[in-house]
Amino acid sequence: MIRDGEHHFCCKGCQQVFHLLHDQGLTSFYEKLGDQTLHPPSDSASGEDLEHFDSEGFLRRYVRKRPDGLLEVSLILEGIHCAACVWLNEKVLHRLPGVVEATINYSTNKAKVVWDPHSIKLSRIVEAIRSIGYDAHAYDPSLQEERALQARRDYYARILVAVFATMNIMWIAIAQYVGLFTGMKPEYKQILNVAEFVLATPTLFYSGWIFFKGAYYGLKNRFVNMDLLIATGATIVYLYSIWAMVTNKGEVYFDSVTMIITFVLVGKYLEVLSKKQAVDTIDRLLGSYPTQVRVIDTQGQGRLVPVEQVEVGKIVELKPGEKVVIDGRIVEGAGSFDESSLTGEALPVYKEVGDEVVSGSICLDSLVRYRVERPFRESMMSQIARLLEESLNKRPKIEALANELSGFFSLIILTIALLTFGGWYYVTGSLEEALVVAVSVVVIACPCALGLATPMATLVGIGEAAKRGILFKEAAYLETMAKADTLVLDKTGTLTRGEPAVVAEERFAPFDPALIAAVVTRSNHPISRGIAAYLRVKNPPVPSHFVEIKAKGIEAVVNGHQIVAGSVAFLQERGISIEYRGEHTVFAVAIDGRLVALFELDDPLREGAGEAIVKIKELGLAVVMLTGDSPQVARRIASILGIEYRAGLLPQEKAAFIDDLHAKGHIVIMAGDGINDSLALARSDIAIAMGSGADIALSVSDVILLEERPMKLYEAIRLSQRVYRIIKENLALSLIYNTIALPLAILGYVNPLVAALAMSLSSLAVVGNSMRIKGGLK
Amino acid sequence: MSTNVLAVMIAISTFLGALGLAALLWGLRTGQFDDTAKFLDGARFDGEEELRDAVMMEQKRKEILEKSLEKRREDKRVMPD
Repeated sequence: MIRDGEHHFCCKGCQQVFHLLHDQGLTSFYEKLGDQTLHPPSDSASGEDLEHFDSEGFLRRYVRKRPDGLLEVSLILEGIHCAACVWLNEKVLHRLPGVVEATINYSTNKAKVVWDPHSIKLSRIVEAIRSIGYDAHAYDPSLQEERALQARRDYYARILVAVFATMNIMWIAIAQYVGLFTGMKPEYKQILNVAEFVLATPTLFYSGWIFFKGAYYGLKNRFVNMDLLIATGATIVYLYSIWAMVTNKGEVYFDSVTMIITFVLVGKYLEVLSKKQAVDTIDRLLGSYPTQVRVIDTQGQGRLVPVEQVEVGKIVELKPGEKVVIDGRIVEGAGSFDESSLTGEALPVYKEVGDEVVSGSICLDSLVRYRVERPFRESMMSQIARLLEESLNKRPKIEALANELSGFFSLIILTIALLTFGGWYYVTGSLEEALVVAVSVVVIACPCALGLATPMATLVGIGEAAKRGILFKEAAYLETMAKADTLVLDKTGTLTRGEPAVVAEERFAPFDPALIAAVVTRSNHPISRGIAAYLRVKNPPVPSHFVEIKAKGIEAVVNGHQIVAGSVAFLQERGISIEYRGEHTVFAVAIDGRLVALFELDDPLREGAGEAIVKIKELGLAVVMLTGDSPQVARRIASILGIEYRAGLLPQEKAAFIDDLHAKGHIVIMAGDGINDSLALARSDIAIAMGSGADIALSVSDVILLEERPMKLYEAIRLSQRVYRIIKENLALSLIYNTIALPLAILGYVNPLVAALAMSLSSLAVVGNSMRIKGGLK
Repeated sequence: MSTNVLAVMIAISTFLGALGLAALLWGLRTGQFDDTAKFLDGARFDGEEELRDAVMMEQKRKEILEKSLEKRREDKRVMPD
């Protein structure tokens, strides 16, 4: 505790911050905090990398030049946890000379800063943020995520207008309908018509603009789509209604115009809402990796150097827990490396002088120095990132059935309407009558039912899936998934748990489990963790002596007992007689020189994996397992599950396997969870990731399973197949409706009320049928 | 009820509704609904000091813009046409 006048501080950092705020007259921050407590500012906020913010490359990448000569940057602030933090950061930034604007979004922790490059440098701004104990990173605001947000906001505005107009038109339309039955003076009707016209116009041209645009792009690429039918249909009805309004003949259909636009727009918006937020993949992947490494010069001094500037031949130092970003070969030290992000192998690999370290792995437990063998650009991680971006760009797309069908349908309806018009004009010779009948054809064939057929079913499907912990990032994936015929699975983390667990235990002499627990809880090795989880001893004693010998075992003294634990070879080395034959990893324990227990560990299958595979096969999919693990392990798992397998695959080879399946005309679902799977995930038609998987795997995948149970895979596939069937039923329903109603309309038997009623009924039928998705699944 | 009354009633009520809609759209466009937390904090942390701060920012912005304009003018003078 530090005393400073009437104030007390827990550390120097807090004291410094207080004085800084005091000098600026910002001490009301501490009152604004309320019940919040503060964490001491971290020491990492050193000035070492500040010049990075002024570098040419940084400016080009993240900083936007505004037309008025000011610069703008988007920053993510670290350490913001309450409203007072936002207030303080804004205030401090506002007081810097040259900062013109600083706004911080509390929910996303993103800040927008605008400054004058002549009066202040960005590094000075970041320094100010750091001086009060927060930290800032730059992010690229042109990320697709931002753009998606923009698109959503745009849709939302259009929908607001459409809903407003529709709600108002509805009550006017009710007056119109009543007037149709009870009789209404033409003057009143005229006023109502004009009011409807005023409301329908912005709906068609502002809210409906999306359909005009979609129809235009469709035509440009030479295909007729749903947008075209909606755009032309709405426009024709709109124009006819204007004509009816002006000449005061017949009925106006402005309500149909707004209804069509609003309903289909809402459907589209819901799709946009669930649309996958594609992110800048390279950034995502490399973002979690350090941008600097500690390079050791000839005098043995460490210096932080940006990864791009590290040359081949330099010596890089790794501390325990650090990630490897550049490939190389160890020259000093030895330690365990977690390569699970590359191979999927759960157990760490022991490496010593002369062994290769690969970027993407994590140094677990010791200080290691290695010689750089490949520049950052050519290192494993960068290569995977590049490949990933390429694969995402040329991902196979399966044309959606409903879109094809509705495009075709649109064309037919428009042709029929045109023919009807021609026919009636030819027969009756009256332009007016021909127009009325042609319009009623378009109204009754109003694509409501057809337009709702797919969105409605997929919406119910997505909602139902979400309830079961299956998140579809885009509605269309349900359809693609239903068409898939091959399921490719990753082993580690998907079929198995990805962490070793005790499968068998042999006791040779009675012993106190707490002694073993005391040893294993001190170690961070996955095997020790597996044993600790198995023993479940609370508050084990603390060893008085503890040595962990890398990749071999542990020696310790607990409560006066000498404990030797680890691999068979390690115990033999220590003069304890032990033998083991089997395929599992073994953790043997000797107390006071006597072997007391032997634990066999294995990466166990996830619960229900076998059942899920059998059921998925029943659905008619071929199942293949891919793994970076050794063939022996893979064979054992594959034979238990009764599936095909490929073992010892590198990430690129997994992706090549998927490509191969594509070449043979298969539609492939891939399920995986690690960085090593991300390439293959990106190449597949549908990528499923486990919720706890690597960030990168989540960002390239289309479906995320929140619960890590293989049964969820089965449920997802079954649900998608069911949704697909309902979609087909919906399309059939709306087509049947049209084949009955259309001839009547063509023959001129349909009056406006009947048309409106029939339209609503057909839409209701489709909605009702879609609800069956919920009931059909247990 | 005369037709005029009906026309005026519809016109006024639609207009009032449209005003509300316009306000909502304006708020949406200017990003006022992006951060719900800030919405509330704006009211909580309001005061004289905040007002001064806003005025200061406004002045600073004006000064900087003027300076950069001057600078550009100077640059032009130096550059031969």
